[in-house]
Amino acid sequence: MDQQSVQVIIETLKEEGVDLAVTLPEEPTFSLTEAMLEDPFFQAVTVAGEGNGLAFCAGAALGGRRVVFVTGIAGLLVGTWALSQMGMVYGAPILILASYRGDFGDHSGIPGSQLLMFKQVAEPLLGALRVPYRVVNQKANLKRMIQEGSFACQDYSHPIVLLLSGEVLW
Amino acid sequence: MKRFDCLKFLASLVDEHMFAVTSLSINAPFWFNVRPQGPNFFALNMGLCLPFALGLAVAFPKRKIIAIDSDGSLMNDSSSLITVADVNPANLVAFVMDNGSYAFMSETFTTRRTDLAKMAQGAGIANASTVTTLEEFSAAAKQAMESTGPTLIVAKVERDAGRVSADRSRTSGRPMREWFMDAVRRHPDYKGVVG
Repeated sequence: MDQQSVQVIIETLKEEGVDLAVTLPEEPTFSLTEAMLEDPFFQAVTVAGEGNGLAFCAGAALGGRRVVFVTGIAGLLVGTWALSQMGMVYGAPILILASYRGDFGDHSGIPGSQLLMFKQVAEPLLGALRVPYRVVNQKANLKRMIQEGSFACQDYSHPIVLLLSGEVLW
Repeated sequence: MKRFDCLKFLASLVDEHMFAVTSLSINAPFWFNVRPQGPNFFALNMGLCLPFALGLAVAFPKRKIIAIDSDGSLMNDSSSLITVADVNPANLVAFVMDNGSYAFMSETFTTRRTDLAKMAQGAGIANASTVTTLEEFSAAAKQAMESTGPTLIVAKVERDAGRVSADRSRTSGRPMREWFMDAVRRHPDYKGVVG
């Protein structure tokens, strides 16, 4: 992710009052999570597993914190148990920014078999978990999608995923 | 040492503004019987109790947050111990009610080689210990509630004789969530807007 996307995301999250940033580092979003770690506006937390990261986000969110979880498709796969519980059962408003690994344009060097699997499961997975999502692949839409995603997760009281791809990510 | 006796004593230490989070199965109805009112989040499924409590600890940094977890649940996602250690919340007190079995079924690993307090220490939670009698539990719980955390106490309890009844609308799912949110919204420290 280039600095332009990083800047737009950070600026918009601040405007939305999202000040708790949770992540388990992964390559495509590393520049974003590093920037959040260095920015005193954010309480930035690195978690040891995506499942406990999502449960952590849920506790904070139901306690009134505005929270963003930064991950990738692999992280969403690992976190499905927690995501189903915190979403479908408890309605925790968590904004999730996920790199859309395996989407067209991912030349990151991971074996194609992995990328294909990510591409094949990402959107059906979110559908199965009943998690509303949008693919955000144009910088011109990035700010508005974060604003709308942030509003929707609070309004629905449910996790929302923005799948970052295209020129936003690669 | 019986689970109910431990939780009954623990409830005597908890004030109206402290949060409590329980794991599924046995802890939830037992805790409901000793602390039915106040900000309780009951019956989180496997692996989710401790990290959820950690999130509340970050949201309410001036209040004690009590996690009442179990051996099977904690082992399901023991990496949460590392997350707790790294966040290092001063207000989190975690109890692991270790009956050495999955509810009323087969033995868990803590009956053999696994030591959850040592795992917590290894993860970086310095204040982690195991207690085996009610006297030890009472002293450790009292000290934890008066100290700076995070603290994790593994309570070796007997296998439970049977389930206790609890109002399911208060201890599970969305109805429980709404009871919890009602308590959260009325909490003096609450600053959120969650519906």
